[in-house]
This record gives sequence, C-alpha cells and structure tokens, in this order.
Amino acid sequence: MVQIDLGQVSVRDANEQIRKWGAEGEDIEVLNPDARHHIGVGLIHPVRVHIKGSAGYFCAGLADQARFEIDNNVGWGLGDNMYAGTVTVRGNAGAIAGVAIRGAEIVVHGNVGSRAGQVMKAGTLCCVGNANFMAGYMMYGGRIIILGESGERVGEDMAAGDIFVGGAVRSLGSDAQLTDIEETEVDDIRAFLDRHEIAYKGGFQKIVNAGKRLRYATSEQQVRSIPFFTFSGTSDYWNPKVQEDVYIKSQIGRYRVRGYGGARTLPHLSDLAFKRDLSSAGTAGDPVAAVEMYTEIGGLNGARPLKLSMPVMIAPMSYGALSRSTKQAVGMASSMAGIAENTGEGGMSDAQRGAAEQLVFQCLGGRLGWNIHDMNRADGLEIYISQGAKPGFGGQLMAKKVTKELATIRGIPEGIDLRSPSRHPDILGADDLVIKVEEFREATGYCIPVSVKLGAGRVRDDIKIAYKDGFDFVELDGMQGSTGAGGAEVMEHVGVPTLAAITQAMAALGEVEGLGKMEVVLMGGVRDGIDAVKGLCLGANAVAMGTAVIIAGGCIACMQCHVGQCVTGIATQDPQHERRYNPVAEARNIHRYLEGVRWQIAALTQALGYGSTTQLCRDDLVALTRDAAEMTGLPYAPEYRERELALRGRVG
Amino acid sequence: MCGIAGVMFKHGSTGLGTGQALIDMLDGCQHRGPDSTGFALYEDVEPGKLRLRFLVEEENGASDGVGHNSGVEAAIADIRTTLEDHGAEIVEDEHVGNSYRVVVRFSGDVQKLTYDMEHAATLISIGESLDIRKDVGGAHDVDDVFHVREVQGTHGLGHVRLATESEVKPEAAHPFWATGFTDIAIVHNGQITNYWKMRRRLERRGFEFHTDNDSELIAVYLADKLANEVPLEDALKTSIDDLDGTFSFLVSTKDEIGYAKDHLAAKPMIMYENDDLIAIASEEVSLNRLFPGRALDTREPPPGSYGTWSRLT
Repeated sequence: MVQIDLGQVSVRDANEQIRKWGAEGEDIEVLNPDARHHIGVGLIHPVRVHIKGSAGYFCAGLADQARFEIDNNVGWGLGDNMYAGTVTVRGNAGAIAGVAIRGAEIVVHGNVGSRAGQVMKAGTLCCVGNANFMAGYMMYGGRIIILGESGERVGEDMAAGDIFVGGAVRSLGSDAQLTDIEETEVDDIRAFLDRHEIAYKGGFQKIVNAGKRLRYATSEQQVRSIPFFTFSGTSDYWNPKVQEDVYIKSQIGRYRVRGYGGARTLPHLSDLAFKRDLSSAGTAGDPVAAVEMYTEIGGLNGARPLKLSMPVMIAPMSYGALSRSTKQAVGMASSMAGIAENTGEGGMSDAQRGAAEQLVFQCLGGRLGWNIHDMNRADGLEIYISQGAKPGFGGQLMAKKVTKELATIRGIPEGIDLRSPSRHPDILGADDLVIKVEEFREATGYCIPVSVKLGAGRVRDDIKIAYKDGFDFVELDGMQGSTGAGGAEVMEHVGVPTLAAITQAMAALGEVEGLGKMEVVLMGGVRDGIDAVKGLCLGANAVAMGTAVIIAGGCIACMQCHVGQCVTGIATQDPQHERRYNPVAEARNIHRYLEGVRWQIAALTQALGYGSTTQLCRDDLVALTRDAAEMTGLPYAPEYRERELALRGRVG
Repeated sequence: MCGIAGVMFKHGSTGLGTGQALIDMLDGCQHRGPDSTGFALYEDVEPGKLRLRFLVEEENGASDGVGHNSGVEAAIADIRTTLEDHGAEIVEDEHVGNSYRVVVRFSGDVQKLTYDMEHAATLISIGESLDIRKDVGGAHDVDDVFHVREVQGTHGLGHVRLATESEVKPEAAHPFWATGFTDIAIVHNGQITNYWKMRRRLERRGFEFHTDNDSELIAVYLADKLANEVPLEDALKTSIDDLDGTFSFLVSTKDEIGYAKDHLAAKPMIMYENDDLIAIASEEVSLNRLFPGRALDTREPPPGSYGTWSRLT
C-alpha cells in the first residue's frame, strides 16, 4: 500500500501516481483530499483507493475495475461513466451520483443529491439515506436502490432499468410507474445489501418505465423520393418539399423527423467570390507539390495535435446514423488522405478505430458508448454541445435503426425511438464545463486534445466560453450542416448560417485575444475545395466535411436517412441493405474526392499568390449578395459573380 | 457562470477574519470564474456614517452623459460635489485601485441620494457596515489592491466570475448591491429567465436599475421586500417562486446572511455550520479551505429551499 498526500502534491501529479501504482497492483491511500476534484479519474486497474476525507467532483470518474472507498462526502458526478468496480461513500454525495455508469456498484451511506443515476446503463447505485429530485432521470438500464425517501419525480423519463425505494415515494416522474416487485428481485437486493454490510429489513416499492414515450405512435415511412434540387426548389411556398411535409404530417399527426439538412436558401460560401482573377489556377505545374497544406490542430495546451495533410477533417457522423461499413469506408478514406475522422455519437467500434489512423471520439449528453478505454485510444476527444443542423437538440435515431447490436454498444434498450438527451448531466454552465474538460484531461493524462463541437447559436458568447474553459480547438457547425435525423422545422428555421458563424467566432476570439491560439474547424455545408478555401480565408484553421464525403461514397441524397432502409446501404442498420455497400470501393471513391479537394485548395491558394494555406485571409474575398455582405462584413461586389461562375467551371 | 461563497461569524470573527476566509474560499473555486472577483465585507467600523464606493476608472470616464468625463480626477470632483449638494458631509475619502471610497455623515433620503449619485458616477456599494470591493482578476489580485485580508469583519460574501454574456469589466463583477438601498449585497450563480418581466414590474414602481445584470434584480427584489418590513427569510421564500430560471444565490444584510436555491437545483451549493460560523459555497473544496485536512459534516440544501442566519452578538 502506498500513500499520496494531497496536502503535498497536486491532483494532476496524484492521479499520475495513482495510475502508475494501480498498474503495479498496489493499493493506494489518499490523505488530505480536502474535497479536491477528479481524484482517481481514469483508473483502470483492480486496486483499492482509500480516500481519507472528502472528495470533490467526478471522484472515481471514468474508472474501470478499481475499488474506491471515501471516508466522507463527495461532490457532483461520483463514479461518472464507471464500468466495473465499486465505490463506497461514507458521507453524502452531491448531484448526479452514479451518472452514466455501465456496471459499477456504488453505495452512498448518506444522502445523494439531485438526478442520481442520470443516463446510467447498467450496474447498481445504492443510496442508504434519502435521494433528491429526479433520481433515475433518463436512465437506460441498471438498478437504483434508495433506502430512504425517493425525492420528487423519481424515474423522470427513464427508458429502462429499475428503481427500488424503501422509504416514501414523494412523486413519480414523467413516464414512470409503480409496478409489482418479484421475490427474486428482493432477494437480489438483500444479497447486495449484505455484501455491502447495510442493515435494512424494510420492504420496497419498484418503479419502472411506463412505456408511453419510448416510441412515436406512428412512424414516418418513405413515400416517394424527391431529388434534392427539386426538394429545395426555388420557391419557399409550394414546392414539392412543402407538399411532402403536409402529406406526411397528415399521416403521422406530429412534426416530421427526417434526414439530410435544411432546404431553405441561405447565404452561403457560394455567395462569396475571390477578389483576384484566378483564371490561372492550376496551370503552373503541380499546385499540390508547391503549396504547404500540412496543418496541426489541437496543440494549444500541450496535447498531441491532430496532424492533417491538408486543412480538412471528416465531420462527426455516428455509427448508428450510418452503417458500420460506411463508417469503415470513411475511416479508410481519411487514412488514405492523411486527415482525421470523427466517431460522432454512439461509441467507437474496432472496425472504425482500425480503419482511421486519426480518430476523434465524440462525447454527448447521453454518454452512449462513451468509455475510458476508447478515450485512451482516441486521437482527440470532443464534447458535443450542439449541432448546426439542430442546435439545442440531441441526436435522434428512429427505432428501425436501434438494432440489438447498436443498442448493446450504446447501452440502451433495443428498438426505441432514441432521442438522446439534449444536454449533458454535468454541464449546466461554463463553470461546470471547465471541470468536465479537466476531468477528461486528468483521465487521459493531458496528451489528447479536447475539443468542443458548437452548433452555431450564441456564437459570440459560446466561442469565448470555449476559449476560457481551455479547449484545444472548436468544431463550429453552421446551419447548413446535415443530420441523420432531425425535426424538419428545426433544420429549416433554427440555427445560424455557416457564414455568420465563422465571422462572429473570429470577432469574438479577437475580443478575448484568442485569435491564432485556439483553432477553429468550420463545418456546415462545405462542399468542395473552393468552399474550403473560402472558409479558411474567413479565419477557420481547417474545415470539416460530412455530406460531401457521404455523397462521394455513394449517397443518392434521397433525404430518407431517418427511415433506416437506405437503398445504398449507408444510412441503415439492416444487413440486407448494408450488403449493397462495398466499403473498399467506396473508400476509394471518397479518397479520390478528397484528393480532388486537395488539388482545389492547392490550386486556389497558389493562384492567390500564396505558398501556404495559412496565408489565406479575408481580404481575398468579396460578397456577391447583400445578405452575405451583411453577415461577413465583406465588401458587397456583385460584379464578381461571373468570375466566380467561371472559376467553378474551371476548377469545380 | 461562477462560484459563490459566504461566511458569517456568529459571535464576531476571532482569529481568521472575514476577508481572509473569503479569499481562501474563492481561491478554492477560482476555476469556476477566472475573469473577475469581488467581496462584500461587513464590519462595524463607522457607526452612524455611510460608506460609499464608486468605480472611477472606466474606459470613458466615470460620468458619461453629464459632460465632465475627463478622467478620474474630474469624476471624483463630480462625486464630491453631488454628495455635498445632497447635504452629505464627507468625513474621509480615498482613491484606491479602480475605486473611490468615501465616508459621509448623511441623514437624508438614501434612495434619492443613490439615484442621483448613480447619474454622476458608478456607485458599487453603500451602507453603514457594507463595503464591496471588486475588480477583474483572481481573489489574490483583488486582495493585492484592496487589502481584503485586513478586514476582520463580521460576515461577507464573495464571488468569482466567468463572463459569458457580458464583458469582463469591474462593474459587471459581483457582488451587486441593491440600487437605492443600503447594506444589501448579493452574489449569484445562475440565470434569471424572467428578468425583464420582473424588472419592468419593479421599474413601474419607481425603482431604477443600473446594469442589465440579473443579480442586481435579485438584490432590488429582496431590498424592496425588506424595506416593506418583510423578514429576509420570507423574502427569500417568495423569491423562489417569483424568479424563474436556474439559480443559487446568497444575500447579506447588516445582520443576516441567507441563501435561496431554485426548484431545479441545477447550480451547486453546499454549507457547513458549527457553533461559531456558517460557511456556504458552490463547492465543498472551498469550505475545506477553511478547515484543511478535516472531513466536514456538510449539507447540500435541497431544491427550492432557502434559509437565513443572524449574528448572535
């Protein structure tokens, strides 16, 4: 047994030592913890950690197999996302004790704060005292045992799992109900209590999901396929999309959830043009050889940066929205092109990890598939706050796509219309966020860059928060981004266009002296190398492409991603449909496309008179429409339109 | 977006002073708000006199709109003239850091005086016992300028701030005073979502606001109740239903300290009490700064709760 005195060493050093001793199988005693945060996070060895006093936020967070014992109280997020292992707390726990656990046994001898067991998937959380408000909020599985009172709204929006309450049930949450308790369940609980030396002889009431809100009453079927250019039409009034919307709503009696992005015409990168005459672009030898495009992203605070052969990344898209083969193809293409791929929501598969040389791992509020082992093998971590196509909403995955396999990875019940939580249990403001970022760094030893994905909304404020909270880079997602499934009205009418987003982000970063320090990756409707160069001119350090990559890999843009019966085998989990997809061939197609993007970026950069993409600047651009000029602050110069069209004809 | 702290020594402070206690607690949660730090300190030093503190180092001078904004000296001259015009007798004054501190003898209408003063300069604190000291930077930065640690005091509040929607400026730092009232300070973590509705309701009744910060609203809301002889505890109780949003806040008056927490409990708060003191903070790590190496028997207030403590001496 070794002792670590937090009166003498920092938490960061202590965690390094804890991991080191843990790997050697040595038990650890932590002295003078004084309620400091992040003690023991990311410990993945079966050793005992005895904390002699109170611990702060995220004690035992992101741990696996370890056994923690805390003599006094703990702060928020006890055992966050813990896999196997045990935690015993002798005092009280703050809010969200046992948040997102996937197998651990957690016992709190005092009271637990609000939202205990939020989004937990498996394992047991036991509170010997009283629980507070909304215990079991949005839980997907596992067991909560509360020996005292339940608090208000217990089981609020739980999808699965069981809550057993010994004391009074103050009130039931939405879609929760009382049910009969089996004798064997009581025996199991007694055995658990005996094992943890808890004397309790009283009875229990059992609370489960009431089954009223897990699925939409009527699902939305594919009716006919309208090509995107028809779909987006020229008229906002009675184009085919509007007709389709009306028809579908007449069948389902609610708002639509569909795939792809908004179809409204909004000011975009195509409303900008280059000031300089670029008719010579690509004519002076091989531009790719002549222009420096290598870009590093995420090294701001000393982590290992992503190394991109050009300022392009793959935008986050989930295994779930997309098939396993598609994620594999995109990963392979990213490796061939020397850029980075992103898992999106829903976990990291071995196939994905194997295919992509550089992979960013995305963390959403539901913590679906999030875990310490995949964090450790990621090249970047990303906290999803929101998405350009549907800011303020979580992911949506219709029941057809929530197969057994997918549900297992995510730790959720099979066959539900999954509406992932729109906010994180532990990020309710910039102040909490900074503690979360620190947890990820502590758990992974400060070597993996941590980014934030911001769906453009309150860009000015949010980008400053991202900078102040110490993120290594931002993925900024404009309204023209797409999604596998989203409310149609939201996609059309909520959000901030990509042009406005990047302009506001740069202005805000300037105000806090963060320009040139924290990198910004721009996405949301970046279609090709011309768009990419314009994004870079506006200040982005790189761009990320999603829809374009999917189309390069065989998508026919039928707008039915949500249905789950994608004819190309891309947006489906049905093996029959997926069989049509050839990942190796599509990876080559995507790669060829990305090489085309590379050539375009190089040719334009060279024709603008630069030797490196870092030299691109705002002064290279003008706006072709008044709206685009308003949004970007660029000079309004419609006379450049023909030149822009000619450029697209030449290098497009 | 911030961290808050409050402490009251029930029998007056012995040993550890109010200033030092708050510095320690705020330093413990500075990660919640690195942009600015502020203290509301109560001490019985000038009985029968009023202590006022003004911000005098704003970018455009302290008195824009009046036409005398040519720097700090002019601002101070303005303040002195306005005070004298209202019959306040200046006993003591000092220009320190970003602020101008004045002690006056005054027996007139405080609300009228403060409203008029606010038209001349940015008044950030007024009271017989209260003194608010705040600036950009961390707890130790503010202490370096304002010597917070030297304040023995009886009780006080502190705040660290991460600016989200407003700029990083001293006047946007907490604590806030209740414009128009003496000896009332507030620190707040959260967001009042029915801000404009509540503000208009108070404005219709003649109250003035000098910032767009929702914390000022809470201060004025409570001060209004107190002025109508509603006990602080009852005012806190109604605040939980009248104010909408997610919030944890602390309030202090000459003799009391109190807290309120909204029904959703989205903002943290934890407290420790013994025979000598009550200490409240956003995180236990701040409370442990007062008692290093000890396992404290702390309590997290439930959602929708409130409470007050009074000085015993």
